[in-house]
Amino acid sequence: MRRKSIILSLLAILMTASLVLTSACTQGTKGTGEQILRVNLAGEPAQIDPNQASWAAEKSVITQVFVGLLGFNQDLSLRADVATVIPTIANEGISADGLTYTFTLRTNVTWSDDKKVTASDFVYSIKRELNPDLACAYASFYFDIVGAEAYFSATDKTDAEKTALENAVGVSAPDDETLQIKLNDPLPTFLDLMALWPVYPLREDIITQYGDSWTDPPNYIGDGPYLLTEWVHLDHMTFKPNPNYWGTKPNLAEIDFKMIADANAALAAYYNGELDISGVPVGTEKATMTNAVLSPEILRYNDLTTFAFQFNVTKPPFDNKLVRQALSCAVDRQTLIDIRGGVGKVALSWIPPGMPGYDATLGAEYAFNVTKAKELLDQAGYSDVSQLPEIKFSYSDTAGNRTIAQFLQAQMQQNLGINITLDPQESKSFQQYINAGKHMWAWFGWGADYPDPDNWLPQLFGTGAGNNHTLYSNPTFDALAAVALKELDNTTRLQDWADAQKLVMDDAPIVTMFYRERFLLVKPWVKGLKTTGMDGQVAGDMFYNEVYIAK
Amino acid sequence: MTRYVIRRILWLLLVLLVVSFITFSLMHLVPGGPWDREKQLAPQVVEALNRKYGLDKPFFVQYGNFLIGLLHGDLGISYSFQNRSVTQILMQGLPITATLGITAFIAAILIGISLGMAAALKQNSWIDYVSVMFSTIFASIPGFVLAILLMVVFSVLLHWLPTGGWGSVSQIIMPAFALGALPAAFIARITRASTLEVMRQDYVRTARSKGLLERVVLIRHILRNSLIPVVTIAGPEFANLVTGSVIVETIFSIPGIGRLFVQGIFARDYGLIMGSVLFYAFVIAIANMVVDILYGVIDPRIVYN
Repeated sequence: MRRKSIILSLLAILMTASLVLTSACTQGTKGTGEQILRVNLAGEPAQIDPNQASWAAEKSVITQVFVGLLGFNQDLSLRADVATVIPTIANEGISADGLTYTFTLRTNVTWSDDKKVTASDFVYSIKRELNPDLACAYASFYFDIVGAEAYFSATDKTDAEKTALENAVGVSAPDDETLQIKLNDPLPTFLDLMALWPVYPLREDIITQYGDSWTDPPNYIGDGPYLLTEWVHLDHMTFKPNPNYWGTKPNLAEIDFKMIADANAALAAYYNGELDISGVPVGTEKATMTNAVLSPEILRYNDLTTFAFQFNVTKPPFDNKLVRQALSCAVDRQTLIDIRGGVGKVALSWIPPGMPGYDATLGAEYAFNVTKAKELLDQAGYSDVSQLPEIKFSYSDTAGNRTIAQFLQAQMQQNLGINITLDPQESKSFQQYINAGKHMWAWFGWGADYPDPDNWLPQLFGTGAGNNHTLYSNPTFDALAAVALKELDNTTRLQDWADAQKLVMDDAPIVTMFYRERFLLVKPWVKGLKTTGMDGQVAGDMFYNEVYIAK
Repeated sequence: MTRYVIRRILWLLLVLLVVSFITFSLMHLVPGGPWDREKQLAPQVVEALNRKYGLDKPFFVQYGNFLIGLLHGDLGISYSFQNRSVTQILMQGLPITATLGITAFIAAILIGISLGMAAALKQNSWIDYVSVMFSTIFASIPGFVLAILLMVVFSVLLHWLPTGGWGSVSQIIMPAFALGALPAAFIARITRASTLEVMRQDYVRTARSKGLLERVVLIRHILRNSLIPVVTIAGPEFANLVTGSVIVETIFSIPGIGRLFVQGIFARDYGLIMGSVLFYAFVIAIANMVVDILYGVIDPRIVYN
């Protein structure tokens, strides 16, 4: 397996080299001038039902075809889409107790078959999201709605009981233009949740009529700028402008989502003029940057994703905070970035730049400092590192992760003289291993579902929380989080989260390593591309209605 | 002969049953399930998903349900392509993989046998050397290297062929070659060796000495007899090509079933894994059966009873 990966990387280099030699004569500076954008979705989306979707590729498709009540601007601030305004307490969209949300819908919003989008389309969608028989991955995001969790948990109940529970869900449409949602508790980030794809409006008549095949074109009726006109499974998807789109009409006449799984093949397709935007194979970023033809076509931007080494704080020696802090000081993060071709940014704190709650001043005390690392180990009682229990580092065995694991092994050896054992695992086995808390030290990353610290802290560091795989537990953190999760005053809330993040960084259940950066090639004729830190599988997918092809 | 075929078919059913049970057990024994993700799903969601796909039932009930579905031609619902049935997914990929596989197979047979025969008949001539060189080179280059090399030359450098996809003749050339090159090389070597051996047999000398035309000697006595080892390997090769190559399908972005199988395993998509494995087992068993029957047709000395 390892030899194969060496051959593969050699090939990647060979290919890049041959591309360099040939590129001068094959590259044009102009496209065909046709308003067609061709991008690589890489894999087949698992499905494209907004209620059930959870992966980046699915999101990229859904974003073209649907528009929700709210959406995100490029800076990830909220924007009213189908809603006339963003509800606030001041405009009476949110009740004073923060429990009732009232959305007023625009009157000119239509579906692609020219029917009017009404509040009942949203009621249908939200209740369907919570349908226990559908088992939607993001359903738990909406459990704060009155009756939501009871309905979703009714898997064993009879149909009559399920219907009763469905009717009890606190979502209603007093009239065609008004949607009312009641919550159990105040939830300051509820509007962020209402901007996500699982609660985009859906057509009950279409879904009832076509069943599971409602997502096949031409049944896939949406209210967004594009229509899905063709879906050849595992091959490509074609989008055309929605003739009945109620917003600003898109510039493009067609978008093609190709499904090229192999990174070398995608790059070849980019060279051959079959793709307008493509990634590069892992490890070839440096070669791409020094390539005279390719370097002007590079697009780099930050993603709201942080990668870190997570300790299992219940296993010795990592139950000792000083040991965790020491190891955090012993890792030279910049070296890793250099190994990765300079892609990514050193991370000293958990919440990435571009998110509310990012703190550039945080974490400096646990930055790379071997002397301090040794002092901390001394204090922890490990002046002789041979006294440490055997340390095992687990990771999902991919080419990129292998580099990271070997980097960590080298850093521990060079800087502290600690030998760590590497434990590569197949991806699903690794995930189960982590979820069961069997690991000692492991590699992980977290990407934003929505741009708020409340998506980044309580689920990962709260005692017993679903994604808390460090098994970290700090009552002070829990108390802060409990307050911040319900605090309606934004300034106070963000301050609480800032304090909570600081606690986590001091307790060091994780060694933050780097913030992800996307590295892509874009043909010079693609104009108007707007990227965000929350793009799906394809770059700039949230704003394809503004993209055009230069003649 | 008929009784032989019937017996083989009954054996085939038993083999498929055993294969299905072993695969089903292994799938459930392997660590990691379909809902294990880096971003863990809420426990209520996992429970609802298990309920939806029947994974909350005991192992033997699940296996029983699978067998009942199988009898009705229903392989269940895929998890990695949600809301689509495994049968539907396989039936969409199958014609594509089969077309590619058969093209590659025909090319491999034609190129392999003619090169091998030519080399043997003109032993130690330049034809022989070229043939041996060809078969050595293509027997040594792994499929994924050949695929990328072809792509670099014919798409990136020359712009003659598209890099991948499916639907036009130009899109089948490179993958068929990448897929067929190894079996072609293999067949060429076997054909050459077995032809050389047959040519030295007494019955060939007898045929010549009784004054038969060289053409008749060649076709009736040499070719026919030298093909027996070729048929032996052609069966498994055919099964191999028709069940698809993960690597070639992935590199050339071909929506065939080779990719599905691997994707199914990585996603712990139980339905897709069962469907693909049973399909593979079926094709391989049938190919072996056809080979055994073909022996009898080519060499009348082989009789089944």
